[in-house]
Amino acid sequence: MKKQISRAITTVLSLFLICNIPGLFTLAHAKEVTGTDQPLITVLSPMGQPPSIQLLAMAPRMNTLDGKTIYIVDDGFVGGDVLLKEMVAWFERNMPEVNAVYKRKAGSFTDEDPALWAEIKEKGDAMIMGMGH
Amino acid sequence: MEAKLGIPAVALITEHFKTLVVENSAKKGMPNLRVTYVPSPVWGKTAEQLRKDLEGNSPVTGKPVMQEIIANLTSPLSAEDRNTRTIEQSAGPASFGPETADNLQQLFIDKRMSDYLPIVLPTEERVAAMLKGTSHDPDEVVGKMAATPGVFENWTYTVRTVAVNAVMAGARPEYFPVILAIAAAGTESISSSDNSFARAVVINGPIRDQIGLNYEIGALGPFSHANTTIGRAWTLLSMNGGNAGKVGTTYMGVVGNPTNGTNIVIAENESASPWQPFHVQKGFKPEESIVSIFTGWGVVSAKNSVYGVWAKEMNFTSQLQNIFKTQDPMFGATAILSPTVANYLKQEGHDTMEELINAIFEGVNEEKRHFMSPRSINVLVTGGYNNLYYDYGGMFYGNSVSIDKWR
Repeated sequence: MKKQISRAITTVLSLFLICNIPGLFTLAHAKEVTGTDQPLITVLSPMGQPPSIQLLAMAPRMNTLDGKTIYIVDDGFVGGDVLLKEMVAWFERNMPEVNAVYKRKAGSFTDEDPALWAEIKEKGDAMIMGMGH
Repeated sequence: MEAKLGIPAVALITEHFKTLVVENSAKKGMPNLRVTYVPSPVWGKTAEQLRKDLEGNSPVTGKPVMQEIIANLTSPLSAEDRNTRTIEQSAGPASFGPETADNLQQLFIDKRMSDYLPIVLPTEERVAAMLKGTSHDPDEVVGKMAATPGVFENWTYTVRTVAVNAVMAGARPEYFPVILAIAAAGTESISSSDNSFARAVVINGPIRDQIGLNYEIGALGPFSHANTTIGRAWTLLSMNGGNAGKVGTTYMGVVGNPTNGTNIVIAENESASPWQPFHVQKGFKPEESIVSIFTGWGVVSAKNSVYGVWAKEMNFTSQLQNIFKTQDPMFGATAILSPTVANYLKQEGHDTMEELINAIFEGVNEEKRHFMSPRSINVLVTGGYNNLYYDYGGMFYGNSVSIDKWR
């Protein structure tokens, strides 16, 4: 009886020790989970924090483009002027009731053009902006 | 623009930018932005070819381009199109694992959090060791970065985030103040532009010797642990802290740039230069340690540009004028001189950097206006003494940040 108690205590103590020696436990667990002897480790995320997104309401659409002024804005990429002037010509040929106005935005493609924005806000009903190459 | 002006708008975009446009318009607050795609490219085509593109079908939707534009301006909005709620974004979990090292290496590649080379896995212990390289609080926000400022959203990052990326790059804690200063400068090392831009960091002051930066033979190459890992940490931080370099969304470089991996790290050879170090020219004290950020196309050997006159005409002032005339004015031009070439230039009569830059500028602009001002020109000194070679490129100085403030 004494021998059995002693054996039980030894077993419990051995298990306790194995489970509390990080390397031994991790290796045993890793092998069980992955089938390899590599230890399991945890690493920190390298990611930064993205900003929150404030959704913006889109502008109400028009029922028709008849009699409307559409600003066709070129933001300055090479060739954009040729494409967008062709678009103005398309409106003149196919929808002469639309007043299509070509404008080259000032500055580079990321620059603001407050004067043009004010003009479009005052006189424009819609805008098509040509961006990219 | 639609929200700003309050009128219906359509963005006209070339086809290969669809993924970028969809993701970026959502992040800018208008996930259902009305877009019509046209065949790529636009430039290089005749008016007749472009007219056919407009009269043809969208390469993305298959619908007639002009009819789609009209529909985008006239078809009614949905309730979601009018939504103005705020959406909080998450960068994902704070940690990954427990997992094996091999699986974590793969996870970092799969999640596009690495440069495809093996990383040093950023365990808590390693990051804690890196954080000992600075006196700053791990939770302090260091700065912000965007894949291209003004085009993409700004992400922010803390000292801890920078430390994680520095560990991944293989950097040592003593380099950490340099990496934090680069992070504070807020320039992404990988621009989203399809131009495949490069970035450079110039490092001046006592820190160069304190951490073993190489500024002699092979100064711009992978011949120093400090130079290489600091440059790599900048790229990893740009990808993870600034969301840059994600192909298809925040990266569109047509050919790519081989320097984007570890960047162009230039520790100046201050003691061998006949002029003031770069940071002193910018108003800092010699004993201060400073990073200065450059952006542009990259650098190449000047010898490639002076074929035929290399051995005959060793007037370096004239060489630089002729080479810089060929540079796009957009980024100006920067020369990276070996100390030997720098000393030849001094012998040609340029006792100060200001005199040298003015002389180059006047020579470049003598026939017609090319660069806007002498500030378009920068000259740096680094490298060995073993020959008369030097590099140059369309690289423009941006800003400088104190390394000492991040110690």
